[in-house]
Amino acid sequence: MNILTILLLFTTLLLTRVSELKTAVRIIAIQSLMLALACTIVGIETGEVQTYVAAVLTVIIKAGFLPYVLIKIVATLQQEHEDHPILSFNYSSLVACIAIVLAYGLIDQALPGAGSRDALATAVAMTLIGLLLIMTRRQAVMQIMGIITMENGIYLVGLSVTKGFPLIIELGVFFDVLVAVRVLGILTYRLKLAGLSTDTSILKKLKG
Amino acid sequence: MALLLPLVTGLGSMFQTTIVAIKIVNLTGSLLISSSLAAIVYKIIVDGAYSYKMLYVDHLSAVLLSILAVLTVTSMLFSISYMEKDLSHGHITFQMLRKYYGLLNVLLFTMISVLIVGNLGLMWVAVEATTLASAFLVAFYFNHSALEAAWKYIMVCTVGICLALLGTTLLYYAQVSVVGSDLNALNWLELKKISSELDPAIVKLAFIFILIGYGTKVGLAPMHTWLPDAHSQAPAPISALLSGIVLSCAAYAILRNLIVVQEVINHEFLQELLIGFGVFSIAIAIPFILVQHDLKRLLAYSSVEHMGIIMLGIGVGTTLSIYGALLHMINHAFAKSALFYMAGVITQEYQTKHIARIRGLVSTMPLVGTMFIISILAITGTPPFGIFISKFIILEAIFAKEWLSLGAGVLLLLSGIFAGMIYYCLAMAFGSKPKYRASTVSIGKPALMAMSISVVLMILTGLYIPTWLNDMLTMAASIVVGG
Repeated sequence: MNILTILLLFTTLLLTRVSELKTAVRIIAIQSLMLALACTIVGIETGEVQTYVAAVLTVIIKAGFLPYVLIKIVATLQQEHEDHPILSFNYSSLVACIAIVLAYGLIDQALPGAGSRDALATAVAMTLIGLLLIMTRRQAVMQIMGIITMENGIYLVGLSVTKGFPLIIELGVFFDVLVAVRVLGILTYRLKLAGLSTDTSILKKLKG
Repeated sequence: MALLLPLVTGLGSMFQTTIVAIKIVNLTGSLLISSSLAAIVYKIIVDGAYSYKMLYVDHLSAVLLSILAVLTVTSMLFSISYMEKDLSHGHITFQMLRKYYGLLNVLLFTMISVLIVGNLGLMWVAVEATTLASAFLVAFYFNHSALEAAWKYIMVCTVGICLALLGTTLLYYAQVSVVGSDLNALNWLELKKISSELDPAIVKLAFIFILIGYGTKVGLAPMHTWLPDAHSQAPAPISALLSGIVLSCAAYAILRNLIVVQEVINHEFLQELLIGFGVFSIAIAIPFILVQHDLKRLLAYSSVEHMGIIMLGIGVGTTLSIYGALLHMINHAFAKSALFYMAGVITQEYQTKHIARIRGLVSTMPLVGTMFIISILAITGTPPFGIFISKFIILEAIFAKEWLSLGAGVLLLLSGIFAGMIYYCLAMAFGSKPKYRASTVSIGKPALMAMSISVVLMILTGLYIPTWLNDMLTMAASIVVGG
């Protein structure tokens, strides 16, 4: 479990450094796979069936279907990179490290003695770094990566403090994530169709 | 039953091949949905709260269900005229029309789910689903601005709602550490029962996340940035639904969480938080209303202001003020939906949303022009309309608590908004008729019906509140306060 949390944190940090959209999507797929693995481990510990179901769903939806769809969208975009993020790659890695420290501080303050300290801190750090990606990246696809990371982080919080939600709520959350990313994907494609770049910094016509 | 109907209607309209068939299917569908909602409300009034498996309804849900019942019919009526005109102007294709009605019904389905589930986790799922269902409706015209609005809408709201999920997770953790995980996870009745044993520190943290999360969806400042964009770019009936009921659904989610947490956290903290967000939302709307060039954005900022007033009412936390806040939700829904319908007619007729280019409404469209003036007067809180009553109740509750400076400050802010809205309204209503538009125009009958229903209801709630509504609101307010 500890190795897993370190790897999860590593993939998340890696995301702050990539500019190639395809690579980012692959990293997200790997991150989700590891989340599924963590889910399975919790399942073995508690022996509850629903955790296994959640693990299988994570593999199918977050590590399989969504990356597949996103890769296809990226392929149609041709020449789109994250070239000039609002915060440069080096600085965003630095901020991400600060986020990790912050996460440890936060959980020691707010949730002392809840679940495993490292897993929880990783989860909070992932949520924060996801937010960072959404705020500082211009490419639409990178912002979607941010949302998935954030969601993965929150999922890990739930996993480490409560061993996961009841199945029915879990299913609902999965469905929402699936639809959200699908909708965002279609919007990205539409931006492309409308002859616009998928660089979201052009989206500033509406003001006041 | 009420959940199935919109799905059936939506599916039905996807497969229709003629406009007339779509109209008939959707009208009957919306009437059936409304009557089943009305039946639920009636059952609540007669028998009180009842639950069935994961579902739970009480008087608080009944208040919002009745708003939804009215708006379902009016928005469907208005959609018929509005979309037909768009089709004839060539803005949309027939294919898109089918998708429009399909999505509209999905949106109705998700909103009904928000209001009737009995579980904070499922409620989260449903609130997020309302965002997703309405995203394509906001992006409906698929041009640059509509795409931008939809992108902002879904990004800001999804991030916000993710924070609410984090809050909900923490709340679940607080529950698990008391009773362990069982079938009643996040069921709010169970949570309320054990609320005295929950860990206050965790619950406090959870509620902050939940308030910020759902607050984004309510459109509270400073998380309101998506709201004017989405409201101004969506087709008019959708703007009306968004403003009238989607925002209130999110406010309902906050209320449900509030009922659970107020037993645990001290009241002053909650009051400061809610009143702070409320007053800030009212204040931030003023500059944008005073210097506005776009009719639908003007209305959208007015929604931010009204959501602020509702939060203020909830924050004050007495039975009277919450009664006022709930009544305000009802009044605002009728008045604002009427205004957005009119804005839809006006923008279609003048082919612009620019306030400066809309002149002489009363002479081009006498009926709509008159109703427009009445509705603007109503929304700014002029007596004898409903909004005046509910604002008055909230302010009375504030003064009853002897928070004189807060009350006086809010009054000052409201008068600023009144000045801005009336200034633009009069400029649009009177003034010289544009030269290129000689004859008076015809407006579809369904659209007129939709507008008149809203306007009539808006006037009625100002003059007379029937006993059953009064009882329902009182019961709902006492549920929130902790009865």
